[in-house]
Amino acid sequence: MEVNIKDVVVPGDVAVEIMKSSEKERVILGPGLRRDCDRVLVTKAGVLKRRKPAIFYVDSYQKRYVPNRGENVVGIVTQKAGDIYRVDIGAGELASLSYLAFEGATKKNRPDIVVGDVIFAKLLVASKGMEPELICVDSHGKKGKLGVLSPDGMLFDCSLSLARKLLHPSCQLLTLLAKEQAYEIAIGMNGKIWMKARSVHETIAACNAILAAENTPPAEMPALCSSIARNLLRIS
Amino acid sequence: MQNQLETTEEEECVLRPMNCELNQLSRPDGSAMFMQGDTVVVAGVYGPIEAKLQKMMHDRATVETMFSPAKGPPCVDDRAKETVIRETCEAVLLTALHPGMAISINVQELQDSGGLLACAINAACLALIISSISMKFTVAAVSCMIDRESGKLIVDPDSTQIQQARVTFTYVFEGIKKDLVSCHTTGRFSENELMESLEKCRAASQNIFDFYRNIVEQYAIKL
Repeated sequence: MEVNIKDVVVPGDVAVEIMKSSEKERVILGPGLRRDCDRVLVTKAGVLKRRKPAIFYVDSYQKRYVPNRGENVVGIVTQKAGDIYRVDIGAGELASLSYLAFEGATKKNRPDIVVGDVIFAKLLVASKGMEPELICVDSHGKKGKLGVLSPDGMLFDCSLSLARKLLHPSCQLLTLLAKEQAYEIAIGMNGKIWMKARSVHETIAACNAILAAENTPPAEMPALCSSIARNLLRIS
Repeated sequence: MQNQLETTEEEECVLRPMNCELNQLSRPDGSAMFMQGDTVVVAGVYGPIEAKLQKMMHDRATVETMFSPAKGPPCVDDRAKETVIRETCEAVLLTALHPGMAISINVQELQDSGGLLACAINAACLALIISSISMKFTVAAVSCMIDRESGKLIVDPDSTQIQQARVTFTYVFEGIKKDLVSCHTTGRFSENELMESLEKCRAASQNIFDFYRNIVEQYAIKL
């Protein structure tokens, strides 16, 4: 079946509009699309979307993470093997994290990381058939926001589409939530979210607000945040 | 029941009513409970996950399937179903995108009243769609039978009808050109019977593809 932008698509559909618009500009096929000779076929079920100028992708609901280079992820250190740590980022295999990939780390000055720590890191290598590799520094050797996350926070899983939704610049939820209470948050593109507020009550409330956002349209988000804040006041 | 039989006589490509529930299970990356008449099957998909070392393939993902019957351990017949489901899913998936990984499909029968294999394949396909694994196309499985006495062709028979069957066929079609992907038969039949049943099932498979699109549409509202 032939489909256009903003249509609901299932695998095997042919995206006709993409080939038409490819006269001058460079077309980029994002996740959920593949080229087969002179056609563009859909490989995932969801909504076909376009970002200017010519980036096409299928927005789909997904739980399993497939690593992509340059994405920020939250992971749990599961193993310490020689000079690398093995980190579970929810992908098919464990990612590796060198102890030298931290700010100011040298062979003698090792970072203080133990098994069970939660880490916010960037994917340096993520390609087919290779083990994903994480780093906790940027290209200037600074750690920025990356690194070990405090054990006082709470880690929970969500769908990849929710993580993408929260990270989208137009998403109001985090700003609205910040008006009600103070919190710290690390959202990984792998659908793992670490969160810490002033108290356990507040942390759990904020986590619930985020999980509820999955099925909440943007217009109802202020109502969601204020109802959570009201419930919090009642408890404390 | 009576009513449904009558409509089957009127329009020959009528399937039993279909229904499904998505992501009822929390552990798998995608799961679907698929009901076709009274036949109910749950399928769960995990993947891409780490492959076992002896099954790992360096150029593509391995596809593993597990078919569990409603009661007791799986028997030889269930293993045969498992193989059909696995080979169908291998044809559906773009396995080359995930080399060295595995995609695991678990199918659990809940109730069988005819067309179990077709229902299992449809459930597996829905679970794959929902888990957002890259697929070449969707597939739809349709079962049909030929009556022992009257020699009449019945598409998507239930368990009482199937007891009168001389031959049963299960065809799997792909969603783009409606080509045959896989086929499973029991009993003896002529070439004409095969071709006739194939065409009827091909026409009936459109209902299942429409059903898939409907389900995805309901689902995509959330995005």
